[in-house]
Amino acid sequence: MSEIWKAAVVDSVNRFLGKVLTFLPNLLAMATILIIGFLIAWIIKMVIVRFLKAIQFDQVSDQWGLTRILFQGGLHDAPAILLGRFFYWMIVLITLILGINALEVAAMQNLIAQFFNFLPHLFAALSILVIGYFVGVFLGQAALIAAVNAQVGSAKTLGRAVRWFVIILSLTMALYHLGIAEKVIVATFAITFGGIVLALSIAFGWGGRDLAKDFLERLYGRKGKRGEGPDQISHL
Amino acid sequence: MERSLQNQLQEIKGTDILIGIPSYNNVRTIGHVVRAVMAGLAKYFPGAKAVMINSDGGSTDGTQEVVREVHIEDYKTILTSHPVYPTHKIVTPYHGIPGKGSAFRMIFEAAKILKAKACAVVDSDLRSITPEWMELLLTPVYKEGFDYVAPLYARHKFDGTITNSIVYPLTRTLYGKRVRQPIGGDFGFSGKLAEFYLTQNVWETDVARFGIDIWMTTLAITEGHKVCQSYLGAKIHDAKDPGSDLGPMFTQVVSSVFSLMKAYEHLWKKVKESQPIPTFGFHYEVGLEPVSVNVERMIENFRLGVQGLMEIWRKGLLPETVGWLESIGRLSNEAFSFPQDLWVRVVYDFAIAHHQGSIHREHLLKSMIPLYLGRVASFIRENRDSSADEVEKKIEFLCKTFEEMKPYLIERWK
Repeated sequence: MSEIWKAAVVDSVNRFLGKVLTFLPNLLAMATILIIGFLIAWIIKMVIVRFLKAIQFDQVSDQWGLTRILFQGGLHDAPAILLGRFFYWMIVLITLILGINALEVAAMQNLIAQFFNFLPHLFAALSILVIGYFVGVFLGQAALIAAVNAQVGSAKTLGRAVRWFVIILSLTMALYHLGIAEKVIVATFAITFGGIVLALSIAFGWGGRDLAKDFLERLYGRKGKRGEGPDQISHL
Repeated sequence: MERSLQNQLQEIKGTDILIGIPSYNNVRTIGHVVRAVMAGLAKYFPGAKAVMINSDGGSTDGTQEVVREVHIEDYKTILTSHPVYPTHKIVTPYHGIPGKGSAFRMIFEAAKILKAKACAVVDSDLRSITPEWMELLLTPVYKEGFDYVAPLYARHKFDGTITNSIVYPLTRTLYGKRVRQPIGGDFGFSGKLAEFYLTQNVWETDVARFGIDIWMTTLAITEGHKVCQSYLGAKIHDAKDPGSDLGPMFTQVVSSVFSLMKAYEHLWKKVKESQPIPTFGFHYEVGLEPVSVNVERMIENFRLGVQGLMEIWRKGLLPETVGWLESIGRLSNEAFSFPQDLWVRVVYDFAIAHHQGSIHREHLLKSMIPLYLGRVASFIRENRDSSADEVEKKIEFLCKTFEEMKPYLIERWK
């Protein structure tokens, strides 16, 4: 009996030691990947920050209003540092995943494969958001200037409306691209946008008939503001 | 240039004089302009071979037909005999970006092919052009050896506000030559200068549009050509609503001025003071039609700018300038005043911002329009009861301020 028990224990210990010996190289591989990954992440962060500072990215972000938005969102560091940090953590994340993958645990490997499949969509969505933000700022500014020069009283509101419309549109596109509640997103956007247009049409048609008439008459030069004629001076 | 037009020009086998008339839907006035040109050539250059080219932007009102049909029936009525060489008339559409500059480009190309000795361009919407304009624009080139003749007009005291408040003072301050109407639209120039213009790669920029006039004048000065001006008398052109064209007109002209500042930075930084240029023609007083100006609307536009565009202005203007503008925006219509030293500072700051490219350039220039209208409104208000001579003295004073503040521009320009 004792021999059977002894054989069972020894066999179990041997099996455990065998598994440990099989797992140990994977563990060492993981540790190596993590150390090298963290090092690369740190180097890339430094290179990106220095490059962005060299091309005056912080000043450009300031001019485009990005710094202000980040500040309002509680991010008080310079945009170049934030972007460097973003890339650092992205590389750290990838390193961690590669490290875990090196352990060759079957359940984890499925999850990692899914994550890597999702990564291009995530980047595409982020790109849509960033481009959408800049296009929104640009078009909002263009609309504001055009409205001021056309003497539209609510020029500021118009400029903001254009900017936010483009930003929300890009956000909707980004979420749609990520496959997050696709139908809900599309329906919500269509209802909201349609509602805004309908509300504006009714408001303009019902409440602003005189304003519309005045605007169109001025547009086609039939009368000046307050019934006065157009300027006759030549600017050139 | 189309092959058929090239052949047509080559068949003429050279010319002494080339007159260019750019046009776009000017049926009401172009007949008068063409007659004045033909009469002027017959009267003052009867022995010279002359070609007149109408470079049209696709008129749909019969402008081209009028140019083809118009002629002088009896030269005796203009106290001259038939010219030795009848004037060749060419009517052709131009190609490229729609605009005055593209029309001029085709005229320069024709001058090159025809090996023209002297050329002139005149606007097709002129009501006050006389045959004498041909003599005044061409003789300095044809007989006196000048390369470029700018016009000098008698204008209404409030006319030419972009010229008076930006282009003339700035050109004079930067390049040191007092060309009073640098964007007048009617110029004389040598065939040699036309060929030089053609070598420049600017035909996809604002120069192809309203920027052509200041570009021609600036290059004539900066490239060392002999420049003069001729007094042509009154400038009266066809009535239209100038307000409708202000946006593109303003941005194209000012963008060209600012772009040229970058190109000739090495030159204008060395210029310390301005000099008068040779002037031809007999100066006389003319009666000008009164014009109506809606000053209140201009002030309102300025205020809208203060309310909406301050965020953009802040990126180009110094904080004290912004503070000054805000305080002006709070003034009542009656007390409204836009001081000229503030205006000079604004123009210099916008030129610097345009050079640095820190703001989208088209947005920057469009956002300047309310400031320009504010300054124009203030100028009109200050000079409502002044005579034309007094207004001219005020413009001279503005130019002096531009010149005195030039060190500020040089210091901030990097």
